[in-house]
Amino acid sequence: MYFERLKTAEEEWKQRHEEEVSKAETQPCACEDGIPVKLLYTPSDVRADFHKDIGFPGDFPFTRGTDAAGYRKKLWTISHYAGFGSPRETNVLFRRMIEHGGVPPYMALDLPTQLGLDPDHPMARGEVGMTGTSIASLRDWEIIFDGIKLEDTFVGTVINAPAAVILAMHVVLAEKQGADLARIRGNLQNDILKEFTARGNFIFPVQPSLRLVTDTLEYCAKHLPAYWPLNVCGGHYPEAGANRVHEVAFAFADAFTYIEDALARGVDIDGFGKGIFFLMKSNHTDFFEEVAKFRAMRRIWATRLRERYGAKDAETMKCRILGHSGGSLLTRERPELNIARTTLACVAGVLGGIQLIGLRTMDEVFGIPTEKSELIAIGTQHVVAHETGLPDVVDPLGGSYYVEALTAQFETAVLEEIERIERMGGMVKAIESGYVRKVIAQDAYRTQTDWETGRKVKVGVNKFRIEESEPPRRPYEYRPEEERRQIEAVRQLRRERDNAAVEKALDRIKALAREPAGSDSNLVPPIIEAVRAYATIGEICGTLRQVFGEYAEPTSF
Amino acid sequence: MGLRERKIRVLMGKPGLCGHDRGIALVVMALRDAGMEVIYSGRHNSPESLVEVAIQEDVDVLGVSILSGGHLGLCERIGRLLRERDAQDIVFLAGGFVPPEDIPQLKAMGVREVFRDGARLEDIVRFVEKAARERATA
Repeated sequence: MYFERLKTAEEEWKQRHEEEVSKAETQPCACEDGIPVKLLYTPSDVRADFHKDIGFPGDFPFTRGTDAAGYRKKLWTISHYAGFGSPRETNVLFRRMIEHGGVPPYMALDLPTQLGLDPDHPMARGEVGMTGTSIASLRDWEIIFDGIKLEDTFVGTVINAPAAVILAMHVVLAEKQGADLARIRGNLQNDILKEFTARGNFIFPVQPSLRLVTDTLEYCAKHLPAYWPLNVCGGHYPEAGANRVHEVAFAFADAFTYIEDALARGVDIDGFGKGIFFLMKSNHTDFFEEVAKFRAMRRIWATRLRERYGAKDAETMKCRILGHSGGSLLTRERPELNIARTTLACVAGVLGGIQLIGLRTMDEVFGIPTEKSELIAIGTQHVVAHETGLPDVVDPLGGSYYVEALTAQFETAVLEEIERIERMGGMVKAIESGYVRKVIAQDAYRTQTDWETGRKVKVGVNKFRIEESEPPRRPYEYRPEEERRQIEAVRQLRRERDNAAVEKALDRIKALAREPAGSDSNLVPPIIEAVRAYATIGEICGTLRQVFGEYAEPTSF
Repeated sequence: MGLRERKIRVLMGKPGLCGHDRGIALVVMALRDAGMEVIYSGRHNSPESLVEVAIQEDVDVLGVSILSGGHLGLCERIGRLLRERDAQDIVFLAGGFVPPEDIPQLKAMGVREVFRDGARLEDIVRFVEKAARERATA
């Protein structure tokens, strides 16, 4: 009755303003992923059940937030991500940050390390120490944490394919320091599935790669309860070109794959679910959809974890989201406008109630940010946090006809895509068949042609251009002497260590890797023994390469 | 001047360890849409294997994309290998995160043209068509 009356009223309103409304509606609007955008939303667009679908913050299904008191309980974390130099330089930086009461920032590693290659591998030439620290063996880990008690700090590492090796280094060093493993805190990215389709740092084929992730989840659930062994990264998908629905659907499909593999081993969902975080984009484009995205994510996650995976602990059901603004939306033209873009990206994250926000600097498009632009990026967040009143009210857009309708539509679109992947036989199959890569490439192509034809506006690029000279670039600096030092260090290590012990440990890894995946053939314990004997990352991954082979990516889009 | 029946053949690939392939995927699709035959060799290629495939597949154009900062070293090796194999007539193109001041050096190494981040697909397609036509009639 109520909705019928409303429908009639809406029709009457349209008639009263016919000329204006029909003129506006001749140009249909839609979000990038195709979700239509109406001119006006009314209660008739919101068919959600308040108690079941929206509810209260801190309560299931957490649509309105993971915490009852939102940002009044705790402000979002203002994040900062930095690249590093050599292990020695990293150590100096970490010690300084800890002395000042901070925790070390997330550690960026160079590409050879991320691909399980030693510094003296021919493919590593020119890449050692380029995008982050080079880590070849436990010796480098010992240098980085020289004088730092692992029990007292939090170590986050952006590592995926060889994540088990880095975890092993951390465990061995903690043991050597006499630490209580139950108190060791840290985080591995460890989200290998997105490497195949978006980020590109893969080694082994999909199935054995998944096995290694599950091995680390199982090991941590048993031995390192305070450690977070997995960040699921949706944000790499839009950077590779995917639209927002695909960003979330692929991130969830990845996460569900890890969970189902671990559950099949009998690992308790409440034992590792709390340690899963989502690293997403928080972008300024299709602004309200970004807010709706974060709300829908929490609802989808909580429902799935409770209904499908039997989570009992409410903490396990809370979808914790870290949001970074996207580098691919920044422009080299009129770069100061990137501050405006990231400010809006920050506001989208805040209105979405997420736990951490990191903003790209305005000059990231030219290479390594200057200190001034880093401070602007952090200061932008301080303005949003302390001058606007935005954090005062929990889920301030909850109840907006538009945002609630969009949240529900977005949720439906994501669930449909997840279902499509499940019908294909799951994410592993969807990656191997090339489906995911193809979807991302097609999304990217659509966006690119929209920019080139001007259908989509990029201020300063295809509209409102101002001709000005480009500031100098600051690319990663290649330091050949650093590469030589790392090569010499790893060669010296191979001369000094007990090579018979290394051989024995590598043989043990090989034997277990040949066994079918399972708790009895968990590869983390033998990798720990190999690391303890100072086997290198290249030797350990090389041994696994012999058994598992390498991933051959599908190359048709 | 022989009219060539065959389509323009292009090999696209990522040398070195850099994993970012959004740009190269876009170029692959744009060249295919323009009717060319494009072989995409994916990521993690050595310069040696790229040059080998380019020669084996008898391509007109070899395009590489590098965003890790390692473009000078990798392009130098590819350019040298092309000359050593007497295949410098293959149109060698590079793209990615390249500072403008590196472009003269890259061209001296044998790179015919550099398409930096932000380049338009339309411009790349037009350049490839023209360069391949010139190669065919040379």
